[in-house]
Amino acid sequence: MIRFEQVGKRYPNGHVGLHELSFRVRRGEFLFVTGHSGAGKSTLLRLLLAMERPTTGKLLLAGQDLGQISNAQIPFLRRQIGVVFQNHQLLFDRTVFNNVALPLQILGLSKAEIVKRVDSALERVALSDKTDLYPGDLSTGQQQRVGIARAIVHRPALLLADEPTGNLDPRLAAEIMGVFEDINRLGTSVLIASHDLALIARMRHRMLTLQRGRLIGDGEAGE
Amino acid sequence: MSATRSPKVAERVAPKASDPQAPKKKRDEDDGPDFGTLLRAWIESHRASLVDSLRRLGKQPIGSFFTCLVMAVALSLPMGLSLLLNNVERLGGSWQRAAQISLYLQLDASPTEGENLSEQIKAMPGVADAEYISKEKALDEFQQQSGLGEALKELPQNPLPGVVLVTPNEVDKATLEALRQRLAELPKVQQAQLDLVWVERLAAILKLGDRFVFGLTVLLVSALLLVIGNTIRLHIENRRTEIEVIKLVGGTDSYVRRPFLYMGALYGFGAGFLSWGVLAYGLNWLNDAVVGLAGLYGSDFALAGVPVADGLSLLLGAVLLGYIGAWIAVARHLRELAPK
Repeated sequence: MIRFEQVGKRYPNGHVGLHELSFRVRRGEFLFVTGHSGAGKSTLLRLLLAMERPTTGKLLLAGQDLGQISNAQIPFLRRQIGVVFQNHQLLFDRTVFNNVALPLQILGLSKAEIVKRVDSALERVALSDKTDLYPGDLSTGQQQRVGIARAIVHRPALLLADEPTGNLDPRLAAEIMGVFEDINRLGTSVLIASHDLALIARMRHRMLTLQRGRLIGDGEAGE
Repeated sequence: MSATRSPKVAERVAPKASDPQAPKKKRDEDDGPDFGTLLRAWIESHRASLVDSLRRLGKQPIGSFFTCLVMAVALSLPMGLSLLLNNVERLGGSWQRAAQISLYLQLDASPTEGENLSEQIKAMPGVADAEYISKEKALDEFQQQSGLGEALKELPQNPLPGVVLVTPNEVDKATLEALRQRLAELPKVQQAQLDLVWVERLAAILKLGDRFVFGLTVLLVSALLLVIGNTIRLHIENRRTEIEVIKLVGGTDSYVRRPFLYMGALYGFGAGFLSWGVLAYGLNWLNDAVVGLAGLYGSDFALAGVPVADGLSLLLGAVLLGYIGAWIAVARHLRELAPK
């Protein structure tokens, strides 16, 4: 699914975000990427979303070389990915339904299909009764679940999450992680960047540890 | 970990054999929607963009109205001047009429000879039309226009000659002069007169007017593009987060651009409509004064309003300008709106 081969990222100001990173992620795998602030977690996610390009090495996602991908192809690459943000990135002038429907509207699906899929995605995150509310009417945990529903509604092959539990209390964080696990069981690869080691340790999934842009650990969490 | 989460969520997201939403089971059929579905979706996407743009403009009615008004003023100035020039041109007669050649016939030329000469001239190359005015008709017109009716009645005989008014096809100076010379050599023609100086002056004035209107149009169209560009830039800024999210979930540049293009076109439509109204009202308002002035000179001249074809062209041009202005603004700012 994902293959990093000696991937390096150096920013124009000279800062090195990633340093010769190599690892693979299998289809359907659940993976944590952890490390302190500045370790390179966000750079890694930005590379996977083609928001940045590697300066050295080769990065393959579902067979596509993200170093060579054209700008015109990027939107189509992103349609294979679902992304969840720490700050949810919801649109507060749209209802929950319309927030979740956005990727499907972009895909150009019919109204009936959109309604069906949005209902299903909201059901998965237990927000079926909130469709007509606005994000401002919801709690932080519910907003995060709307973000997850939006990330999975178009059935991506890969789900990326950047500190998805950063603003949540432990109970809500665990609940959100449970949702990710369930999505993963349906066949979606899940890659979560988080520095919440206690939470990660309880999950018993593969964990990559980054430090100053280098991979310093690759094993099961809690080992 | 799963044990700690809400049972409700767990129950809802757990994989089910019969779940139609299971990605692995549905992916094949999702990959290729048929052409009809794609077309319907495309139309729906455009409809949604148009409705969304209308809704956003409607949310700020005063701001939207003033933007349209500024654009309408920019459109009205060159268009109004152009319409006034058209009216001036009409006042002086059309180009061809301005370049008429008057053939004064010999005093002994009979009405039949005059009619025959007129028919002969009509068949000549370079002549659009020829009209014979008899001595009697010429005297009648002179009596009416000069105010010397009673004095002219005292004359022992009609002193005016018959006239053939020739309308040429061309208004080129050399061509007209050549035609005048040929006409002057015809039998029964006493004198062939062409007021070229007046024609040239009128042509020069109208050419100057045209250039002025063109220059003004270029300037004001540039200003209009800046107005619409700046307005759209503000809309883009207000929707920065939305654009970033759209791009992150796979929205193409054309998807992001679409609502702004509709917005630009709608601003243009509003401006074109307002401009049409302003011009129609303005010309009507001026017309009272013009009719009064023309009446003092014994003329029934009146300003023509905005022809429907011109109004529709104005509307279409304004929509196009709004669209182009929006396109330029979005193209400039889209690159800056990469997701962060």
